[in-house]
Amino acid sequence: MSILSIPAALRVARKDIKIFLKERGTLLYLFVIPLVFVLGFSAASAGGGEPQEKAITLAVVNLNADSGASQTLLDALDQSGGIRCELYDQARAQAQLDKGKINRMLTIPANYAENLLAGQPVTLRLVNSPDASASMTEAVHRAVAGVAADLSLETQLIASFRQMGEMQAAASPGQLAFPTEVIVEQAQSQFARSRTEPLLAVEESWPQHLLEEDEDDINPLSVSVPGFAVMFIFLTAQTTAQYIYEEKKLGSFRRLLAAPISKATILVGKMTPNFLVGLAQIVVIFGAGLFLLPLLGFDPITLGNDPLALVLLCLVIVLCSTSLGVLIAAIARTEGQITGLSQVVLWVFGFAGILLVGMPVSSTLDTISQVIPHYWANAAFMDLFVRGQGLADIMPCILVLLGFTVAFLAIGLWRFKFN
Amino acid sequence: MNETILEARNLVKKYGDLTAVNDVNLAIRQGEILGLLGPNGAGKTTIISMITGLLEPTSGRITVDGLDLQAETNAVKAKLGLVPQELALYPTLSARDNLDFFGSIYGLGGKELRERVDAMLEMVQLTERANEAIESYSGGMKRRVNIAAGLLHQPQVLLLDEPTVGVDPQSRNAIFESVESLNRAGMTVIYTTHYMEEAQRLCHRVAIIDEGQIIALDTPAALMRSLGGGILVLGLEDAKPGEGDGHVQTVTDRVGELPAVKSARRDDGHLKIETHRFQEALMAILDITNELDVRITSMEKWEPNLESVFLHLTGKRLRE
Repeated sequence: MSILSIPAALRVARKDIKIFLKERGTLLYLFVIPLVFVLGFSAASAGGGEPQEKAITLAVVNLNADSGASQTLLDALDQSGGIRCELYDQARAQAQLDKGKINRMLTIPANYAENLLAGQPVTLRLVNSPDASASMTEAVHRAVAGVAADLSLETQLIASFRQMGEMQAAASPGQLAFPTEVIVEQAQSQFARSRTEPLLAVEESWPQHLLEEDEDDINPLSVSVPGFAVMFIFLTAQTTAQYIYEEKKLGSFRRLLAAPISKATILVGKMTPNFLVGLAQIVVIFGAGLFLLPLLGFDPITLGNDPLALVLLCLVIVLCSTSLGVLIAAIARTEGQITGLSQVVLWVFGFAGILLVGMPVSSTLDTISQVIPHYWANAAFMDLFVRGQGLADIMPCILVLLGFTVAFLAIGLWRFKFN
Repeated sequence: MNETILEARNLVKKYGDLTAVNDVNLAIRQGEILGLLGPNGAGKTTIISMITGLLEPTSGRITVDGLDLQAETNAVKAKLGLVPQELALYPTLSARDNLDFFGSIYGLGGKELRERVDAMLEMVQLTERANEAIESYSGGMKRRVNIAAGLLHQPQVLLLDEPTVGVDPQSRNAIFESVESLNRAGMTVIYTTHYMEEAQRLCHRVAIIDEGQIIALDTPAALMRSLGGGILVLGLEDAKPGEGDGHVQTVTDRVGELPAVKSARRDDGHLKIETHRFQEALMAILDITNELDVRITSMEKWEPNLESVFLHLTGKRLRE
């Protein structure tokens, strides 16, 4: 007895496709709603490469954390009104910057307080991601430079006046060491020096390796469109589960099991239509990104430089979604459970996948987010579309997605009740 | 009608501590209609499911036309046609699409499939509405398509699992006629039901099933003959309370000795009398109760039918 009969599986699949094409609600759910999302939400978020916030988040690596002086700097930055400082350790900040999860990183050096006290120049290093919007980077630079200039002036003036105070104390009683003109002149000199030779300087840089990977401006739709594609591809998992449940509810599943075809054939037959639907969704969503968005006045999305990697990635994501459908069908006992599980697994994970890949998040959340396949799918699309990487670069993501696929299928088949 | 086409030996199905089917032995002869009669939950569908390969027996062996189900599953499945209890059809597809699909998964294709589908549609008298979605059909029409789907591949044995549940009388008759017609054409049929009238009308032999066991297996006539002239169930009450049930016991003893009576025993406060000749026994019993001054408070006659056989064997009614 053959374990899998492809012709018989295709007959089961053809029947399900016939049923699928007669169900307008499902067609609407799987094709029209994704288009609405892609066109509507992408257009709404097309204003810039990163969200427009009142205060821009700035990752700060404070290597002089035990000094009051560095805290004064942080307070000044927070009070500048345009920046919200978030403390990171150096390794994590660098990793997040490399992944494009944070757009800029300010480093306060270890000798910050010591040098300031000694009147030695200190350099704050501001590293920007090339993915960051130029206007926001400029705004952050201005804010940091402004705060640095103010602190420089304040520190230099205080040092100067302290020195004058000490000299005054050393002079004979009743003798004025510095007439008013000298004090004003000293203040003006320090003010000018704080401009030309500031104690606190800001050095701005863009990592060379990131610059080489992405010299062009980033089209934000190249991030959001594949994000929605991933979310809706995983929605087909619900359809897979519902079709299996319906077949059982109707009793026709018993009839299939009584026919001279294997259980594997039946399952492959049940999975195939949704695999094809998932691929069709990708074509529709990316097609909309390429051809419909320009009609609405937006730049078309980019599909990267490696078609083979793109095709392979799409196949693996759709396979993973279909396997997730088998798992849901195996776990859920009622239609309500299928819907409930799908809402959590698909919508919540779907949005989480879009948000977590492109956003600065805590290391805990970043780790947690990696347990959902959406994360890896979105990360791979980001690498292909935004960073212009190739198959070798996204291979880890593909392997992780295949791992999810195998796990979903294995647990699904173990828990699946054929009768 | 002597050759055994399907045989189940020592069939057992357990779910944990629950034994759903307990040591069932069946030998179904070529060309016969065998009824599996029993109340809901008796184990009929479990037996059918094991025979059709849907459920794996905990122990036991099934052979069809000499082939072992476990060793040659697909070959055996191809010889069987299942008509499940549920309307196992796709409601948004037409009758033709449904039949096309079910034929195709049995390996039929091309011209042969088209011809079989046409023949089945004609048999169930739905040719004119063949291209309409099943969901627009009446319950009876759906049942007919349900049966046709199990026949497309011309199985040697057709298994009908409660095919008349929820069906109007007219469609029920149409189903009976189809089954009889198929059987006349030589098809072996296993027919599960909890309606004794159906088993009595259609089946050459009936296996009475209760709590997973076959408690009787014979022709309907032979099963009914086992009840003799019928069973009389009497409620008796001593006319002189306070003297115990001495007179009632005497009635029981004397009735048991009557030549027209097969047996008499007290059961659940009643006197249950199996008769050889009902009329003769009744007259003699009335004489005895009058003589001993025992009052008859109730009287029920169980007609010699399969319902009575079941009641007699199990103490339960089929539709309990």
